[in-house]
Amino acid sequence: MEEQAYIKLAREGDPAAFRELFDGHRAQVYGLAYRYLRNRTDAEDVLQETFIKAYHGLARYNPEKGLNFSAWLNRICINASIDVLRRAKARDAGPFGPEEAATMPATSHASDPERTARSAEIREKIDQALARLTPRQRMIFTLRHYQEFTTREIAEALKSSEGSVKTHLFRSVALMRKHLRKYVQEDGYEL
Amino acid sequence: MNCKNARKIIVLELYGEAGAPDKARLDGHLRGCASCAAEKAEMGRLFTLLDEHEPEDAPAADWEKAWRSIQTGIAGKSGARRRSPASRLSPASVPAPRPFFVPRWRRAFAGTALVLVLVAGIVIGRFGFGPAPHPAGSGPLATLAPSGRPAASSAALPTAPAPNGIHPAFAAHLEDLKPILLDYAHYVPGEKAEGRVVVDEAVLRTLMLQNVLLKRKLAEKDPAAADLLEDLDLILKEIVNRGPKDTNSPAAIRDLIEKRDVLFKMEILKKT
Repeated sequence: MEEQAYIKLAREGDPAAFRELFDGHRAQVYGLAYRYLRNRTDAEDVLQETFIKAYHGLARYNPEKGLNFSAWLNRICINASIDVLRRAKARDAGPFGPEEAATMPATSHASDPERTARSAEIREKIDQALARLTPRQRMIFTLRHYQEFTTREIAEALKSSEGSVKTHLFRSVALMRKHLRKYVQEDGYEL
Repeated sequence: MNCKNARKIIVLELYGEAGAPDKARLDGHLRGCASCAAEKAEMGRLFTLLDEHEPEDAPAADWEKAWRSIQTGIAGKSGARRRSPASRLSPASVPAPRPFFVPRWRRAFAGTALVLVLVAGIVIGRFGFGPAPHPAGSGPLATLAPSGRPAASSAALPTAPAPNGIHPAFAAHLEDLKPILLDYAHYVPGEKAEGRVVVDEAVLRTLMLQNVLLKRKLAEKDPAAADLLEDLDLILKEIVNRGPKDTNSPAAIRDLIEKRDVLFKMEILKKT
């Protein structure tokens, strides 16, 4: 059955159809939230919030406006993620809690402890540089750099202009460069 | 092209978003600007650094747990709210899920039944048990009668208390409001309008007026009734003020009814 058929059924109150939509898009939504928040618990919360909001907003969703269901979910997820990060910043909490510190991904250089430590250090610095961006800059940078959205797609997702997205992108790239200058300028950073 | 623009085009080029004319202009600029050429090289190293240390993919999520939470969130009144960390740790503290979806036929049936009960109540009340509880033209649903606007005067209210002690006009008023309140109390977000009770705005305004008159009348004699009428006043204002396309109000009205225990208070007062 096509996605539009599931959307129609879900609008009419069919839980199985909504479950199909959840199954079809959960990984994409969760992955996006995690990539931005770098915290499993927060990403799971955003996943839930996205689908709850999507359910309540199904009546308003109109594919004829040019936004497919996946992009529409991304938009909800992005806004929910930015809200989570804003709340975290308001609480003055670090973006990455002990859970993430403990599960910081191991590098592929397990046989070379020095390289592993160096790689972990750079990752940590990248995380810190990302954490110093504003929530909006961070979202735009994450979407462009890691999720490979085009600036036009980001503008659509954020209901913003392409020019504004580019301005935020230039600033965020400049800030990342500034915060990582030590590693960028080192000739031998490559591991 | 100046250096400021060149540096923006460098970023766009690294992301593959620079158009051919921009690229050509950038190349021309870079041939004569060592500073921007160095900038481009450094940006390239930044991108390599970021790509080589890309964060790992998300750890596996518990999809079934997430789905259960979504079901609870959709069905429960606090669906869109963030759960507290404590509630995550204690499954027992998560409110029991209400039915996830209410089938459309059931909502339509409930709506039709409510309208029938309302109409039957009016007919029985007016013609089945002797004199009407309200003088002609002054009852809360008087706008349904061809006589026009009701007499907006507290003098028109009957004063004799009912056998259970409740003021008869107050009892009739509660009966008139009950189907409307029940409809909002059972509101499910996203439900279609055809299954819901539709009340004419003029009738709602008459009910509001009746509510105000009763509140004045009973303020001193019956504080509990006056308190309930105060709640009803708020709810009626919310209902009257909601726009035809306002999708948030029904949920807000439902929450207001629940928060103030209006239906419970109505039952208690009727039995007192």
